[in-house]
Amino acid sequence: MAEHNKDTNNEKLYWKSIEEFQNDGVLDPSHYNEFRPGVKDDFDPSSSLNGISRRKFLTLLSASAALAAAGCTDYRDKGKLMPYNSKPEEITIGVPNHYASTCTGCENQCGILIKTREGRPIKVDGNPEHPISKGKICEKGQGSIMDLYDPSRIKSPLFNRNGIYNEISWIEADKQIIKALSELNGNTAAIISHRVFSPVALRLHSDFADRYPGVKFYYYDLFEGQSRVNAWRKCYGENSTPAIIKWEAADVWVSLEADLFGAEGNPVEQIRAHANRKDVKNAQKMNKLYAVEGRMTTTGMNSDYRLKLNTAKQYDFLMSLISDLSKQGVTSDLFSSVDFSAYDSSKLFENNSKDAKAFKQLVKDLASNRGKSIIYAGETSSEQVHILVNLLNEALGNSALYDTKTENLLSSGSASKSDWESLIKDMKSGKVKVLINYDSNPAYHLTADYGFEDALKNVGLVVSLSTLENESSFRSNYILPINHTFESWGDAQTRSGVKSLIQPVIEPLYNTRQKESILLNWMQDDITKFDAVAYHDYLKNYWLSFYFAGGANPDKWWFAALHDGVIVDTGAPDIKYTFSKDSGKDVKNSAVNSDGFTLLLTHSPTLHDGRFANNGFLQELPNSVSKITWDNYLSVSYNSAKELGIKTGSMVELDVDGRKLNVPVLIQPGMEDKTVSIDLGYGRTKSPVVAQAIGFNTISLMSKEAKISPFVYQNVKITPIPGKYELASSQDHYNYDETLIRDAHLKRHIIKEGTVAGFIANPNFLHEGPKHSQISMYPIFEYKDVKWGMNIDLNKCVGCGQCVVACNVENNIPVVGKDQVATGREMHWLRIDRYYSGTPDEPVTSVQPMMCQHCDKAPCENVCPVVATTHSPDGLNQMVYNRCVGTRYCSNNCPYKVRRFNFYDFRDHFAKGYYYQEPVNYAHNPEVTVRSRGVMEKCTFCVHRIEQARSQAKVQGRPVSGADVKTACQDACPANAITFGDQNNKESEFAKDHEHNLAYFLLEEINVKPNIAYLAKLRNTQPEGA
Amino acid sequence: MNVDLTKEMPLIEGRLTLAQIEEIIAKPLDTKPNKKYFIALSITLSLLLIGATALLISFYYGVGLWGNNQPVGWAFPIVNFVFWVGIGHAGTLISAILFLLRQKWRTAIARFAEAMTIFAVICAAIFPIIHTGRFWLAGYLMPYPNQHNLWVNFTSPLLWDVFAVSTYFTVSLVFWYVGLIPDFAVLRDRTSSKIKKVFYTVFSLGWRNSHRNWQHYEKAYTLLAGFATPLVLSVHTIVSFDFAVSIMPGWHTTIFPPYFVAGAIFSGFAMVVTVLIFVRKIFDMEQLITLDHLDKMNRIILATGMMVGYAYGMEFFMAWYSGVQFEQFVFINRAFGPYAWAYWIMVTCNVVFPQLFWFRKFRRSIPVMLVVVIFVNVGMWFERFVITVTSLHRDYLPSSWGYYTPTLYDFGILIGSFGLFFTLVLLFVKTLPSVSISEIKAVADGAQPTHHGSH
Repeated sequence: MAEHNKDTNNEKLYWKSIEEFQNDGVLDPSHYNEFRPGVKDDFDPSSSLNGISRRKFLTLLSASAALAAAGCTDYRDKGKLMPYNSKPEEITIGVPNHYASTCTGCENQCGILIKTREGRPIKVDGNPEHPISKGKICEKGQGSIMDLYDPSRIKSPLFNRNGIYNEISWIEADKQIIKALSELNGNTAAIISHRVFSPVALRLHSDFADRYPGVKFYYYDLFEGQSRVNAWRKCYGENSTPAIIKWEAADVWVSLEADLFGAEGNPVEQIRAHANRKDVKNAQKMNKLYAVEGRMTTTGMNSDYRLKLNTAKQYDFLMSLISDLSKQGVTSDLFSSVDFSAYDSSKLFENNSKDAKAFKQLVKDLASNRGKSIIYAGETSSEQVHILVNLLNEALGNSALYDTKTENLLSSGSASKSDWESLIKDMKSGKVKVLINYDSNPAYHLTADYGFEDALKNVGLVVSLSTLENESSFRSNYILPINHTFESWGDAQTRSGVKSLIQPVIEPLYNTRQKESILLNWMQDDITKFDAVAYHDYLKNYWLSFYFAGGANPDKWWFAALHDGVIVDTGAPDIKYTFSKDSGKDVKNSAVNSDGFTLLLTHSPTLHDGRFANNGFLQELPNSVSKITWDNYLSVSYNSAKELGIKTGSMVELDVDGRKLNVPVLIQPGMEDKTVSIDLGYGRTKSPVVAQAIGFNTISLMSKEAKISPFVYQNVKITPIPGKYELASSQDHYNYDETLIRDAHLKRHIIKEGTVAGFIANPNFLHEGPKHSQISMYPIFEYKDVKWGMNIDLNKCVGCGQCVVACNVENNIPVVGKDQVATGREMHWLRIDRYYSGTPDEPVTSVQPMMCQHCDKAPCENVCPVVATTHSPDGLNQMVYNRCVGTRYCSNNCPYKVRRFNFYDFRDHFAKGYYYQEPVNYAHNPEVTVRSRGVMEKCTFCVHRIEQARSQAKVQGRPVSGADVKTACQDACPANAITFGDQNNKESEFAKDHEHNLAYFLLEEINVKPNIAYLAKLRNTQPEGA
Repeated sequence: MNVDLTKEMPLIEGRLTLAQIEEIIAKPLDTKPNKKYFIALSITLSLLLIGATALLISFYYGVGLWGNNQPVGWAFPIVNFVFWVGIGHAGTLISAILFLLRQKWRTAIARFAEAMTIFAVICAAIFPIIHTGRFWLAGYLMPYPNQHNLWVNFTSPLLWDVFAVSTYFTVSLVFWYVGLIPDFAVLRDRTSSKIKKVFYTVFSLGWRNSHRNWQHYEKAYTLLAGFATPLVLSVHTIVSFDFAVSIMPGWHTTIFPPYFVAGAIFSGFAMVVTVLIFVRKIFDMEQLITLDHLDKMNRIILATGMMVGYAYGMEFFMAWYSGVQFEQFVFINRAFGPYAWAYWIMVTCNVVFPQLFWFRKFRRSIPVMLVVVIFVNVGMWFERFVITVTSLHRDYLPSSWGYYTPTLYDFGILIGSFGLFFTLVLLFVKTLPSVSISEIKAVADGAQPTHHGSH
């Protein structure tokens, strides 16, 4: 080596150092290692650079290029996600807060819990502390979240200048209005409001009237139940109010044209009471429900016995009942006060018809259940009918079921016909200088014969306080936008002993003010100093001075009341209802004997008096009887339609004493011949987009001079007119009278029913007969931990549809619109199937909530080409939205047809992107993906709630259990018909119910192994001849 | 009468010389397209444009523009898909199976039928992609490695479809091209246009008509024919699995694979006859594509039509024999429900009209045959409509029953697929030999060695 070195040295001598010169042949290591220790980190050849292979280098290169490319694309959501600078104490991101409040959607004023996420209300549930609604809330309450976020809300005060509305400031508007109010000079100002159930608001109104002499409040509602109140006062004295009925204690319920499970009274309470008496574990104690009605109601569908009765013959019916009861030996001196000698059931019902038999059974049951039965007439019945009902209940001893601990409070009461007439006279004469529509819509609600709209022309200043544009605001000089209830303070009391509070859960979204605050402000000397919380103080002062029982810390009491949302007084004094014996004496039948058509105008459970017309969720909720969405329609019986030569979708002209309206027809099974019915609350002419051109304004058929009741008219002429109208039904895309498909649901064992007597005699009657073992080519999966499942008790379920709205809100389900429902593309994950069996004349109706059955052997899963739908180890059928390409094969192969496909981006498609506008996106549940176009979706069993429960259990160091999870539908079901739980926890009540004698699974023969058990309905009917 | 039964009927009429044959076939390629051709092309292109417009609008707004709804998730697109795949089958049957069976009469029609196969499969392949809600994600249907370890679902018949149809298309294309190579060489040698020469030279792959060329060619062609033969059966079998593997009454039937294959051949032959009637007339090929050819195809139409008819009957029998309520209902509903009109169109077109072909006179009458084959085309489209839509619209739960009404977009896309098909056919007849020159020469009179010396 040294030799060699020398050689080279000889040839060409160059060296860099002495060491090199003296080199013994060993090369300096630095020659190999250019980057010596000391040159570190970035250029450490032994680690980073050399460690990367060429392949890896290229991978990294391409990955970073891809990342850069992806980073440069136009990322869709430009919104900024920022943490709280200083986090509010009560908010933990990702954890919802619940605030107790009160729903003001109707006169029931139920207690609610509003769920908010990061300050945004996203869902309404019932307040479990509330003694009336007990943790449940109806579809209107559920859907009211959409009213808060309605993009059409009026966003600032408007001033009408020659038909064009210009934005003005509050101060300017207030000044003008105050000026007019202060300069009444003997003239008057009318404030028209819906009835008020808030003691504090009433106090405010009287304060306001004191401040401005000449101001008078007029209260009204479309559905006031005035005939019931009037009748009650005639029977029980001038100051009494209709008693609250202890439904649960009644063994026999007789509903006389009262839709107890629809819109009558407090459906949430009535459905719960009914469900408690339809408990299969207590089958002997099941109640008996009679529905006597001219139209088909939810109550009629679920009744044990249903009698068809022309609405105008209720008087005759009750008289015949008295007559037959007395023939049965039921005596009462009250009976002698009425003359029933001319009445006999044989005149009412054809001999030996189903109705006649049911009537006999009714007489028998009433006679043998004295003191334990209740007869209840609906809000549409006449005063005379209500008097007779009171008399019958009294005579049968049923008044024992009147609640004596608590009574109805009518709070504001309402303006009478003469009040209105004098107001309109004053308006016409110009005496009324100012008219304020105080969150009310008299131009729409008052019958045309009052001439309200005409009289409006002579009123100097018309002001409307409203959240949305309506028929009344349209004719106003000023429109003042008001807060939604969820942005307001307030209180409510509808029954003695139950007071509830309203608290805001979000700052006002727009430049709006609470209606009470507006009045308060107008009472101030300096209206420019508006104080948004002034009404809170007013409210608090009232509560502290009237309800606070004393104690060291009034604030603490107040906050506790706010927290609970309701305060309940127990031990209220006994209320005495003393029936005046002569009540029945002067009662005369207000209906005439006629062969003409009787028209019944009905109370819509969804739109109420029309105030919910702009709510897509409620418009799209299928009617629980007809399954029709987005419309009102004339329900006509099968025979009457034949007689008139009309079909479903035909148009007819209704002529009620000269008031005419063209409406579409629906042939409704179970309608009484010669009785037709149609919902009120539709046909809003001046309303934002959603309600436009939806339905027909049937208020135009009403008259202030109605003979029977404002809702019932006799001798109505029905004339078929040319034209077709499309009614969008979520279900019946076929005729039920085709022989081919009649009773298909029974032949297919989709609906299995029995009788109470049959069940008691043989509890296993449902599962008798040979059982086939079923084999599968797929291996059996063992569910080791939990296995989720659901039970639906068809005895309790009445098919009201409250679960459907709850599901829609919880799971961000889009509104698709009428045209899409008609095409068959409704998106509801949960639907209520309704089946008729028997004849269209006397149908037996069955309902069945239907959603994804989460089959163990789900047929949807194996046909998806991209594995977008899979099964979880806890038994859920899952949908992977971002993997779905939308072949729809899963939907085709689903025997229950519960899968829903986004044929469009429905939010974009509906009403030109109506629900894509701000602030509807705030209403979305952040736990649930908002699905895009072209994706399949379906019920998830509220998997987000399951996961929430699972992580909570994990934190607590225990396994998740069935009781931890409540699905949204279960939460909402007023009947508690839906239960959810773990099938593997055999000890749980849920698992036992899942294997109950009455439990059956749908389409068992195709071996898909569904996980929803339906408990067969038992009808409490007597066997023939017994 | 003395008939020599050892002698075959001549496959070509008029004792044409080889040069004449070549002349006839090459004529459309040598001459400039005339006015009529452009009129025809403008019509088919207009149809194509209608379809393309309908499709683009659907892409923009979503498949909601079609009539599909909740019970009826599949409708026109899938019906069209099955229809077009079926049309393709005749080509492969004629070119591959009849080749292996040494049916020499196939030579005159094989090329054309094969071309139709390819065009039909192109038309068909469009539909599974466009019918999805998110067609831009159609790539998910391909198994490709990815870091999520996401894989396709091998139990899904739709995935089998992807493989079946893509294989079918590839094999058909290769088979067709291999058969074209000698013809490209002939055209290369004939043409005087420089551009055409380059084109033909490239595609003839240096064919020199040498013995070795022919030897390799024959071997490759036979192998490919063997390869394509099972595809005739498998593709439509797998398409039928889309339905048969589901659990829907009316779909879940074991008879579907043979029934679908028979139907495919039935409709495919009908389409071949429809188009050939025009082609042989317009391009003066009556001597090559003779009435005998049409007669033979009509016999196949009659035979497969009877098979299809048998399947219709057997479905009803099985529904009754099974005793399953759902099955029984579906079939009664098919014949007497809201879609009865579609069902009876199908039965009339597919079973009743082909019965005319029992008579030799009708089999050889161009007008009668044209009417019948068009009816068969219509009937077979309706067969797929009946199977797809009537089974879905009323399935298990009466609550979810519905009715499907197609929209203008549905029709537009269907029309567009016909536009695409006929546009491709028109381009084909003007650019490539519609009859195989080399094969037809081989069956011309005198082309075969004989024991008798000469004719």
